[in-house]
Amino acid sequence: MSLPNKRTISNTSNTNHTSSMKKANNTSNTNHTSSMKKAKSQTVACSVDSAKNGLHHDFNNTNNPDNDVVFDPSSLSLDEDLKTDDSRAPAAANLGRKKAQPPQPAKKLVIKLVKGKPTLPSNFEEDTWAKLKSAIKAIFLKQPDSCDLEKLYQAVNDLCLHKMGGNLYQRIEKECEAHISAALQSLVGQSPDLVVFLSLVERCWQDLCDQMLMIRGIALYLDRTYVKQTPNVRSLWDMGLQLFRKYLSSYSEVEHKTVTGLLRMIERERLGEAVDRTLLNHLLKMFTALGIYTESFEKPFLECTSEFYAAEGMKYMQQSDVPDYLKHVEIRLHEEHERCVLYLDVSTRKPLIATAERQLLERHISAILDKGFTMLMDGHRTEDLQRMYVLFLRVNALESLRQALASYIRRTGHGIVMDEEKDKDMVSSLLEFKASLDTIWEESFSKNEAFCNTIKDAFEHLINLRQNRPAELIAKFLDEKLRAGNKGTSEEELEGTLDKVLVLFRFIQGKDVFEAFYKKDLAKRLLLGKSASIDAEKSMISKLKTECGSQFTNKLEGMFKDIELSKEINESFKQSSQARTKLPSGIEMSVHVLTTGYWPTYPPMDVRLPHELNVYQDIFKEFYLSKYSGRRLMWQNSLGHCVLKAEFPKGKKELAVSLFQTVVLMLFNDAQKLSFQDIRDSTGIEEKELRRTLQSLACGKVRVLQKLPKGREVEDDDSFVFNEGFTAPLYRIKVNAIQMKETVEENTSTTERVFQDRQYQVDAAIVRIMKTRKVLSHTLLITELFQQLKFPIKPADLKKRIESLIDREYLERDKNNPQIYNYLA
Amino acid sequence: MPRSCKRKSSAPPSPSRVKSFSDSRSVKAKTKDGERIDLFNKYANNGIIDPDGIMVLCKDLEMEHTDVRILLLAWKLKAAKLGYFTQDEWQKGLKTCKVDSLRSLKKAVSELGKEVKEPSQLEDFHSFAFRYHLTEEKQKCIDIETICELLNLVLRSQFCLQVDSLIEYLKVQSDYKVINLDQWVNFLRFCREISFPDLQNYDEAQAWPLILDSFVEWLREKQ
Repeated sequence: MSLPNKRTISNTSNTNHTSSMKKANNTSNTNHTSSMKKAKSQTVACSVDSAKNGLHHDFNNTNNPDNDVVFDPSSLSLDEDLKTDDSRAPAAANLGRKKAQPPQPAKKLVIKLVKGKPTLPSNFEEDTWAKLKSAIKAIFLKQPDSCDLEKLYQAVNDLCLHKMGGNLYQRIEKECEAHISAALQSLVGQSPDLVVFLSLVERCWQDLCDQMLMIRGIALYLDRTYVKQTPNVRSLWDMGLQLFRKYLSSYSEVEHKTVTGLLRMIERERLGEAVDRTLLNHLLKMFTALGIYTESFEKPFLECTSEFYAAEGMKYMQQSDVPDYLKHVEIRLHEEHERCVLYLDVSTRKPLIATAERQLLERHISAILDKGFTMLMDGHRTEDLQRMYVLFLRVNALESLRQALASYIRRTGHGIVMDEEKDKDMVSSLLEFKASLDTIWEESFSKNEAFCNTIKDAFEHLINLRQNRPAELIAKFLDEKLRAGNKGTSEEELEGTLDKVLVLFRFIQGKDVFEAFYKKDLAKRLLLGKSASIDAEKSMISKLKTECGSQFTNKLEGMFKDIELSKEINESFKQSSQARTKLPSGIEMSVHVLTTGYWPTYPPMDVRLPHELNVYQDIFKEFYLSKYSGRRLMWQNSLGHCVLKAEFPKGKKELAVSLFQTVVLMLFNDAQKLSFQDIRDSTGIEEKELRRTLQSLACGKVRVLQKLPKGREVEDDDSFVFNEGFTAPLYRIKVNAIQMKETVEENTSTTERVFQDRQYQVDAAIVRIMKTRKVLSHTLLITELFQQLKFPIKPADLKKRIESLIDREYLERDKNNPQIYNYLA
Repeated sequence: MPRSCKRKSSAPPSPSRVKSFSDSRSVKAKTKDGERIDLFNKYANNGIIDPDGIMVLCKDLEMEHTDVRILLLAWKLKAAKLGYFTQDEWQKGLKTCKVDSLRSLKKAVSELGKEVKEPSQLEDFHSFAFRYHLTEEKQKCIDIETICELLNLVLRSQFCLQVDSLIEYLKVQSDYKVINLDQWVNFLRFCREISFPDLQNYDEAQAWPLILDSFVEWLREKQ
């Protein structure tokens, strides 16, 4: 009997305990699958009441068989005062315990049989549902309900405990269905204004969400038990969504109108109107929540976008110029990106941007390049070009851009290189062009390697468009830079120019032409003392050396050596006894001794020198040969230059003149007037050269002689008079510019020499190849020759050399196969 | 002379056959040799048939001295010097042709026209014609005018169209004043291998001498 007592106590303690237990239950519910640990901590929480501790234990023992749990509180239900939700408390407690403790042998069943079997009131389910139903209705109608939520929760709980969850679920579903269907139907035929309609839809959706949340809150226990345990049943929330989806698609007008509305709004935003982005955001979230975003919205949206930008692309391409168009595209792409951040689903970003790119860029790549590329390049618009590069990079169109660049360079370069009238400025134009390309490459094309190669290739192509002229002009350009009298350029600037020119030099195929002309000009600079700076000269040589190897610069370096050696020789000549005793006074002479082979070949030019000079030459020769026996000295009169002292009636002057000019002027020491014939006879200078010389003395800027009759050309019958009235502001006057100038003959002979050398090189290469191969087909021989020869050459020229070698019996055509050559040892 | 020339002259058409022939009927051959010598002496002057003798021979054979058949005879005799036949050449040459009288010579000479239609024979004859006209010591080339006549003689009967065009070109162009053996040999190759006048299979990239490249270019421009 003690036990029932105890039980009553336990009961009261239970009722006292209800509220706390309920809370505990709630927590345990949230972790429905909670572990033993959780259950234990709960018991600890309960044990705060010291009296309960023992009871609790006892209670466990008595009630543990599962069946009893149901019966046990039935005794309580006899108590009229207790409400249904009260009866739930021990059950809840039991529920907690059920998990926490293993079943134990039942020994207390005996006690319970005393009371009658407790039963549910027959209308329990209906009554409870009625309460819930009215509450749900109220929620849907947004009216306050009389019943408080806690009780409603308890009611659901009860129903579930009595295995009526399934029924309850269906009833709730039916209720929701009715409401949702009605709600969506009410949208049919609503306001034709899309924005208003959209806000109605949004409202409807938001309401439903709120309502469903509320209902789920009430029926949380249902969600947790029945739904969890039964397969193929959606949670209440999902059920709500599913129903919404179902009716949205069945009232297709609503769905269609919503989508169109959305699309229309986005289009309006694209056109620059301000739209309610939050509305868009909410509705699109709705689509996502309903799981119909991709199907119902994204697809038509992308189509719409595609159409929109297709039209816009066409229109803008016609209306605006390329840089503006590109800016516009950039803005558009940015906008679309923003759109994704602000209201579209993240997954839309890629296809959306791709669509926009395709319509705005990909389809117009060639048009953009055709219409705007040249203009942008010509205008050095690095920023716009960079934009173009970045945009093209997005759509993988860099190849087209690269090709456009290549053809641009070729076209522009063609204009620079092929125009013979602009030969003078060709090199500086090319340098400028290259520099601007480099800037564009760095700033606009983000130093893309493929583009760099394109620039190189295109340059190589265009610089070799004309066979030899560019090489020659580069050499001459360098001559100009390295020649004295280039005021205003610092050493660093000069060095920079040399480096830049070297870049062009690298592209040249016919480096031999360059070398020939460079050497010719270098020789003149050195011999006539016109070099701006020996340091710069040497730095150029070392650059060439690193570029082409020492073989290329061997001779050039030899020239410098000669000059230095000559200085020493001149010094020791001055010290020598011959010089001191025998030399005519009043003349100073310095001699450059040049090694044959290092220097360009000069045609020997005869001249009858004045006696003093002849004496001087002979003494030097004697001196030199005594020092270096076995050598042969040849005087290159055409390269000599002198400084003469001249006494004009109006003042003394010093004239810097060439040796030929000197010889002519010396004649006038003894005569006042001389005819052309006289001068020719007494100087022995070749006629054409003499004409040039006289022209420079009597027809140029500085006229120390007067020609009778006046005129630009020197005729056979002309005569010359010493210019008594000569005046000049300066004391020292240079008249020997004529020597620095390149004559046509010089030019052609330099070029011819190069070609001659090339012929020998070709012959040598053919023999070399054939000697190793013995037998080789024509095509293979030609291919190998092209590989070996470092200068541009036409196949026809090679054929010519092959035929010449056949003629000279180095080769023969094979008797049986005329395509094959045999080497004849 | 290039040795190719020597090689060709040292390779008679079929020496073994000639030998056996002379072995088996040596007696008869002896008399035939005599007849050939008689024939030789008829035209010879100081032990050699000189240009005058050849003129007489032509008259006897009833043909112009510019007739291709005289050139063919020279080829058959392997004559070394233009306008002369030595006794040795005469003897050996007539023997291979089985000729011992003026009549049989006349017949044989006409036969040669057919023989030369055969490709390898034509090739041989073609290059012989060139070498035969090299009169000076160390001469390697023949002037354009002679070449044109030679082309007419040697190739025109078979390659009328080609030869006419080529001669026209050679007379118009100014790059070449003389033709060497290699070019000459390639003229024949050109006539044989290149479809004419469409020139479809002509390829400059092949080992044709430059003169033919220019010729083809000239032809194509004309077309």
